[in-house]
Amino acid sequence: MNPHAKLISSMSLIMGTSITISSNHWILAWTGLEINTLAIIPLISKSHHPRAIEAAVKYFLTQSTASALILFSSMSNAWSTGQWDITQLNHPTSCLLLTMAIAIKLGLVPFHFWFPEVLQGSSLTTALLLSTLMKLPPITLLLLTSQSLNPTLLTFLAISSALVGGWMGLNQTQTRKILAFSSISHLGWMIAIIAYNPQLTILTFALYTMMTTAVFLSLAQIKVLKLSTMLISWTKTPMLNATMMLTLLSLAGLPPLTGFMPKWLIIQELTKQEMTPTATIISMLSLLGLFFYLRLAYHSTITLPPNSSNHMKLWRTNKALSTLTAILTATSTSLLPLSPLIITMF
Amino acid sequence: MSPLHFSFYSAFTFSSLGLAFHRTHLISALLCLESMMLSMFVPLSIWPVENQTPSFTLVPILMLAFSACEAGTGLAMLVASTRTHGSDHLHNLNLLQC
Repeated sequence: MNPHAKLISSMSLIMGTSITISSNHWILAWTGLEINTLAIIPLISKSHHPRAIEAAVKYFLTQSTASALILFSSMSNAWSTGQWDITQLNHPTSCLLLTMAIAIKLGLVPFHFWFPEVLQGSSLTTALLLSTLMKLPPITLLLLTSQSLNPTLLTFLAISSALVGGWMGLNQTQTRKILAFSSISHLGWMIAIIAYNPQLTILTFALYTMMTTAVFLSLAQIKVLKLSTMLISWTKTPMLNATMMLTLLSLAGLPPLTGFMPKWLIIQELTKQEMTPTATIISMLSLLGLFFYLRLAYHSTITLPPNSSNHMKLWRTNKALSTLTAILTATSTSLLPLSPLIITMF
Repeated sequence: MSPLHFSFYSAFTFSSLGLAFHRTHLISALLCLESMMLSMFVPLSIWPVENQTPSFTLVPILMLAFSACEAGTGLAMLVASTRTHGSDHLHNLNLLQC
């Protein structure tokens, strides 16, 4: 991509995100969301492949609809309460519309249909941006309005997202689609707790971003787009494949890795709020995700030597060291003992 | 609800229903998106008149500017999808099925 266009797009992404997360007025929040949508369209469609264009079209349509719905919900709240402040969203219709609009923006069930297809049509780095950075402004808006939203609706969105994210990820062979469904189920966990303890949502989002970035960067380094490629990729970077198993299991939420921390704290908080059935159901549903993470981990790591394999081995070239991947992999597997510190920081 | 508010609500609702139920062409979806934005523009323009807050007069212009950018992007996507898929029929956008 043209360096000038890439610079403008990435700066606009950063600016749009900063505008939305630092705004108090709904119009400014909407402006930031629009800037984000406009800036990422060239990044999705940069390769001009038909799949990329189709992904960009689907992304554009869903995100524009959601932005218009957000504007409408804030305006109807302004008609009835005279307030444009984000934290003062009190009208019930506005709260419902806002919840639906943010669900469309984030890819929560039942508005998740665009997300795997858009992720599949974009490159791995753009898919990383779509899963992590583009989720930050809508989650910020949800955090700011969380006390006026309907908790039953949020719990329904959460449980169904965990269900669909786990169940539909089982039949996938493309790694980007698997990571899309993992993102949907993680978002379900984040939404489950937002009405009761929004700081846990921030914590879950930060840890999810860190772990997803580690996985995406590892996959981008070995350029693996489907499971069959992953099976033979160990010759390129054996060490990365070995640690990728730990990063994937951390995403799955297995103790003693970092990914267990948000799930543990969320289950504890739900139990304190007398929502034990919700906690049980949502933890059972994350077992579905564990299956496809295990399958990914098997393909990446259990095929390493000294297991004998009779496929044609790829040449190992000198790959550049990636410090960021190393740091993120280390933090996403070993941060659990520091949980008291991290809880106080959030 | 006053008749004015009802008309704004229904304008937006019908436009969004049109967007949700678009059947054949991508351009009809883009048109409904534009009409959603137009139905937002009119109430935003009335707000500073009704509430005597001239400082709010910039907001409908800002909103219109962003929705024009969005419309331009939508048309660019329409052209791009016509180049790659041959037409703007929505049932052609099936390369990325699960």
